[in-house]
Amino acid sequence: MTGRQRGGGEVVCSIYSVLALVLILVACVELGDAATAVDVYRLIQYDLAGAPYGSRFSGLNHHAGSEPFAPGADLSRTVVILPVRELNLTLLQEYITGGRAIGGLLLLLPQDIGNKIVGGNKNKDIGLVRSILSELEQLLIHANLPYPVYFAFENDKTNAVLADVRRGDAAGQPASAATGGYKLVVSTAEPKKVSSPTITNIQGWLPGLKGEGTTQLPTIAVVASYDTFGAAPALSVGSDSNGSGAVVLLEIARLFSRLYSSPKTRGRYNLLFGLTSGGPYNYNGTMKWLRSFDQRLRESIEYAICLHSIGSSSNELWLHVSKPPENAYIKQVYESLSDVAKDLGVTVGIKHKKINISNPRVAWEHEQFSRVRVTAATLSELSVAPELLESTGGLHDTRDAVDEAAIHRSIKLVAESLARHIYGYEGKNINIFADNSSLGINPSYVNSWLDLLSRTPRVAAFLSKNDPIISALKKELSDHTDEVHVQHEIMDGMFSFYDSTRATMNIYQVASVTFDLLLLVAVGSYLIFLFSFLVIITRGLDDLIHMLRRPPQRKTKAA
Amino acid sequence: MTVFHFFNCAMLTFGPHAVYYSATTLSEYDTIGTSIKAAVVYLITALVKLICLATFLKVPENDNFDPYQELLKALIGFIDVAGFYLALTRLTHRNISQNHKYQAVGLGWAFADSVLHRLAPLWVGARGLEFTWEYIFQGIEANANLVLNLAFAALGSLMWLKKNKPRTLLPIIYACAGILATMPSIISYLRRTLGWQRPKVLAFEMISSLVMAFLSWQLLCLSKTINTAKLLI
Repeated sequence: MTGRQRGGGEVVCSIYSVLALVLILVACVELGDAATAVDVYRLIQYDLAGAPYGSRFSGLNHHAGSEPFAPGADLSRTVVILPVRELNLTLLQEYITGGRAIGGLLLLLPQDIGNKIVGGNKNKDIGLVRSILSELEQLLIHANLPYPVYFAFENDKTNAVLADVRRGDAAGQPASAATGGYKLVVSTAEPKKVSSPTITNIQGWLPGLKGEGTTQLPTIAVVASYDTFGAAPALSVGSDSNGSGAVVLLEIARLFSRLYSSPKTRGRYNLLFGLTSGGPYNYNGTMKWLRSFDQRLRESIEYAICLHSIGSSSNELWLHVSKPPENAYIKQVYESLSDVAKDLGVTVGIKHKKINISNPRVAWEHEQFSRVRVTAATLSELSVAPELLESTGGLHDTRDAVDEAAIHRSIKLVAESLARHIYGYEGKNINIFADNSSLGINPSYVNSWLDLLSRTPRVAAFLSKNDPIISALKKELSDHTDEVHVQHEIMDGMFSFYDSTRATMNIYQVASVTFDLLLLVAVGSYLIFLFSFLVIITRGLDDLIHMLRRPPQRKTKAA
Repeated sequence: MTVFHFFNCAMLTFGPHAVYYSATTLSEYDTIGTSIKAAVVYLITALVKLICLATFLKVPENDNFDPYQELLKALIGFIDVAGFYLALTRLTHRNISQNHKYQAVGLGWAFADSVLHRLAPLWVGARGLEFTWEYIFQGIEANANLVLNLAFAALGSLMWLKKNKPRTLLPIIYACAGILATMPSIISYLRRTLGWQRPKVLAFEMISSLVMAFLSWQLLCLSKTINTAKLLI
């Protein structure tokens, strides 16, 4: 093999390889997209009595992959992208409880879950997605996941990325450093425990008309919890649980403040409105609020109505009580409610659940009242007591889970029955809060508050003392009532939360190592080719051969 | 891996200049001083051009091709030509043959152009995670630019350094030089008005640079043969 042949052959080989590389490179031109950034919301991370739950990590820096995977593929450095629309829950179970090690999980939520659907045309698909979401949520919040889990809304960019990833995976190459693809990067700090999370109770006091004598007026309390808990705390807006309850409370407060504004129409009952926090955590806030009452106030409460999830479109509501229904007070409350309900076309059933003092689980808010011996009942559309961290407003509980007509009915129901009791019109055929009267329900008020609450995630641990929504609720109650008192308490130690609930995920399109190596070979061979070409042109071929032969000669000379 | 990509693109962009210097007879005659001087002249020319552009040009509201603005840009582009002239004629070089002089000047000019226009974007952009074809295209453009500048330097040497210019070839020489001088305007016209995509523009640059290099090489050879023929006569 003479040097001449070698030089010539090398040049020919370089030309062919460069040509082939150019063809390959040109064929892959679509790889050149810019980086995209997506808003992502992290799965909640919390400890319950010391046991860790939720996703324990937040930083992410892995390649993207999607179903279907080859069985036995190593996914520990892959972020699995799963669109919720086509979620297969048994498959997800595998990842979560089966202990399959993955680098991360990205769940894509459909856009329309977040938006308000105008008009009554509710898609059947949405209902299906909602049920998938609630099942998914229950699965995720009770699991302990050693990898980051993020939620994101579907948009064009994510759909394009998912389609690309699926195409790549279908070709049989799991995405890794060697084969290019997409890299998902979330760079946030390590999640830290939220130190001393506060729960804030807001109460409003509307005093009644004190007659002759100094006897203490009886009080009726209307209570609703306003905070939520869900799989993605930055998305837990809880429109039905319990945004609906809070909105009903505010509207009732407004109506009664109109009635109580003039002494001629003021009733002989005090009204106490309570917006409590800590609902999902065994009504912790309500307990602390009740403990802060002084003896006289507590004894003056005739009964308390608690509101929970009264915004969906069914015509059936339930009154949950802990005292037996034969009890005189309970009977009276129930009858006044069912009287009004008949006129509105709603049925109110009664459900009795005994409380067990030794059991720390508090399923309904009225149970906290019953524990301090105050007559109370909860009005709710749920017929069965929810489990811990169930029905606390989550991913599926968005604005269009609430029906405005149902809320109006609930407001009418509670307000009428309260007013008939206060003014002594029980059993009489009277419509105090008639529509289109000055005491009618204000639909725009209700809707605007419902919209506001459906836009504001309200997980108590992430609401500071002066959070805008708390100030807004406080201001609203102070508009309608005489005295407003805000109570800040520290959440009980059973639950502890970790921060870092939202982040920005960068999606990079990366070239594989093989591509870089190919490029290196291409550029190297191009330069070598250029070098030899120029030497041949300017100095002649012999010079090139001499140059290639010179180093060994020099070595022998030195030696 | 991304520094790897930066290294690849840097080699593609600046490698050919080094290769050209070492491969041809320039390295033997140690013409690096000339190249450095040409690079300095380029820097000064670029500064003057910037000042003129800032003074005379309006900020375009949209991306359309405005003929007056482009004409102005082309006129300012002739400052480039003046700079080249200076570098070729006025700089005092050591005793190197004309052949090497224009090559060294062209090389230095192209190298300074690459460094000024391409080093900063390369450093900032190619080291990120995101992969784009941009920097590879830039490298190819740098190569085309090198060839164009060498061709222009050759024609420049023909126009300004030779004492006896061959009469018959003069119009062609001037025409080619004119095309080379207005090359930036042509490319921006293609990009803006005709809306050509980057790879197409790049292909055009490569082909045009090869064509112009070939033309100027032919012109050089022809003028050499004409001159030797004249001497013989």
